[in-house]
Amino acid sequence: MKRSPNKDVLFGLYNDETEILSAVHKAKADHLDIYDVFTPFPVHGMEDAMELSESRLHMAGFVYGLIGLLTAFLGMTWIFTSDWPIIFGGKPYWSVPAFIPITFELTVLFAAIGMVVTFYTICGMGPGVINPTLHDRITDDKFCLAFDVTNASDADKSKFQSFLEKTGAEEITQKQI
Amino acid sequence: MNAFTFESKHKTFLIGAMILGLVCLVLSYFMDSEPMHVRFWSNYLHNTVFFTGIGFISMFIIAAFTTAWAGWFVGMKRVWEAMSLFLIPGLILFIPIIIGMWGHWHHLYHWADAEAVAADPILKGKASFLNKGWYTFGTLIIVGTWIYFAWKNRQISIAEDEEGEGVADNYAHHRRLRVYAAIFLPIAGFSSAAMIWQWVMSIDAHWYSTLFAWYSSASLFIAAMALTILLLVYLKNQGHFAHITSNHFHDMGKFVFAISIFWTYMWFSQYMLIWYANVGEETIYFRHRFDNYRALFFANLIMNFVLPFFILLRNDNKRKYGPLVFASVLVFIGHWVDYFLMIKPGARLTAIEAAAHHAHGHGGHDHAEHAAEVVRPVFDFAMGFNIPGLLEIGIMIGFLAGFLYFVLNQLTKASLVPQNDPYIDEALHHEVWPYPASEDGGNHHH
Repeated sequence: MKRSPNKDVLFGLYNDETEILSAVHKAKADHLDIYDVFTPFPVHGMEDAMELSESRLHMAGFVYGLIGLLTAFLGMTWIFTSDWPIIFGGKPYWSVPAFIPITFELTVLFAAIGMVVTFYTICGMGPGVINPTLHDRITDDKFCLAFDVTNASDADKSKFQSFLEKTGAEEITQKQI
Repeated sequence: MNAFTFESKHKTFLIGAMILGLVCLVLSYFMDSEPMHVRFWSNYLHNTVFFTGIGFISMFIIAAFTTAWAGWFVGMKRVWEAMSLFLIPGLILFIPIIIGMWGHWHHLYHWADAEAVAADPILKGKASFLNKGWYTFGTLIIVGTWIYFAWKNRQISIAEDEEGEGVADNYAHHRRLRVYAAIFLPIAGFSSAAMIWQWVMSIDAHWYSTLFAWYSSASLFIAAMALTILLLVYLKNQGHFAHITSNHFHDMGKFVFAISIFWTYMWFSQYMLIWYANVGEETIYFRHRFDNYRALFFANLIMNFVLPFFILLRNDNKRKYGPLVFASVLVFIGHWVDYFLMIKPGARLTAIEAAAHHAHGHGGHDHAEHAAEVVRPVFDFAMGFNIPGLLEIGIMIGFLAGFLYFVLNQLTKASLVPQNDPYIDEALHHEVWPYPASEDGGNHHH
């Protein structure tokens, strides 16, 4: 599934993570609106430089974990007390210590799967989804800083262009994605 | 900045607290509802094991982090070096217990009573391990070995400050530190298990659990980490350790959080297997604690799992002094209570049984009848056993003051920042993703 291109992006490729980090700092200082930054590995300090807000994925994870916990505990409670009571090893039907390992497992399972699915959904990733890559070497050794120029005036485009040149981008390209 | 001076007002304060502890310890010899001065002896053993154990775990932390090529801890490793040397006074603290065992001054260990062992097939079966010789020489040799490594680690670390030239000498000192750390780890793993069986688990002489060493070591790990956090926060507020940022506290908070979960995992694994198998000799341990010490039984789980789990779950809370200090105080006291619960019920039961045995005389004592009466003993409330009384709290404060006095005194003897450690730069610029190294997470104390 490949969506039709609807965005014009002007991007520059940098050779080094320190170059792109200072470029991002400078872009923020110049009030330039960055479309996104693509790097082959997580760059320390990049979240801070891009002024990204903290991820709330872990909140979702907590909720999924709670759902898993309740599913397991209430499920076993229902099964072993009213639906199909069986005596195991002379223990009472409602044996909380015996329920705890499964409660723990389902908490972890629900939290893990729930967070993966949420993360993929938010990022627009998933089986069969083809996301456009601006440049192949972003996944190897190049650091990419991109501006959205879809409806930008020529003056804005040349402003972005000269910013990329000044901050040391080695290659500057415009691409429709 | 890197030199630490132990101010006399702190010395006076800590010495005062030590005197308070000593007074409480002496008072607990006389203010005891139970026979054989068990309150005094169990208090003494409890705090000796707890604080010596923290010294041992500090050495373990250094060895584990060094072997793992960790860099972030180097900025605070002087604190752990100082704490690990507490093994020396710790060993001295064990000597009265050992002498008391040979001189029959106390009855903490049922297996140390030759007559009791002769009449008891279970204790007879354990006699090759649970005997006075093993206890004495195990303590002396094994703790002595730990002291050797702690001492060696400290010496090389200080020599690195003075002689080490880093790249020029190919990190010779650091390489030696790594060798000693790697040798220490397996020795520490096996020998600490043997000692915790001797010191603590054998109080409930008939009972054993193969998980006990893991569980009690996890407990000490959290206590040591929490105490380190508290000490560093205090020293930082005094103007020292400016290089320790909220990124370091974040990682130490992660350790308290993670090992608290590990501790709970161990606690529950031990509990559930015993509960499920339902073998009388094993369940008695928990039955006894659940029936007679129920408040502490649940307080233990709340203080050491439920509260630290929810407090330290959020990233922010591991970076702010308020929640981190609160959680650290909680789990430090919590694991002290955990050791209280490991030691006190068994020691009290042993003393009551031994006193009854002596009172009845030895002739005509029916072993089966004896066994039957201890299956579900119901005890009256006893201060210092069912809950820690004021004396117990005073003794803990005294031991803690002694520990801190020793540690602060050791801190004066070396630069607070190791000078030539190859990882020092990494430690000084430590950042916890995604927080940059410069950020100090809302702690505006300096």
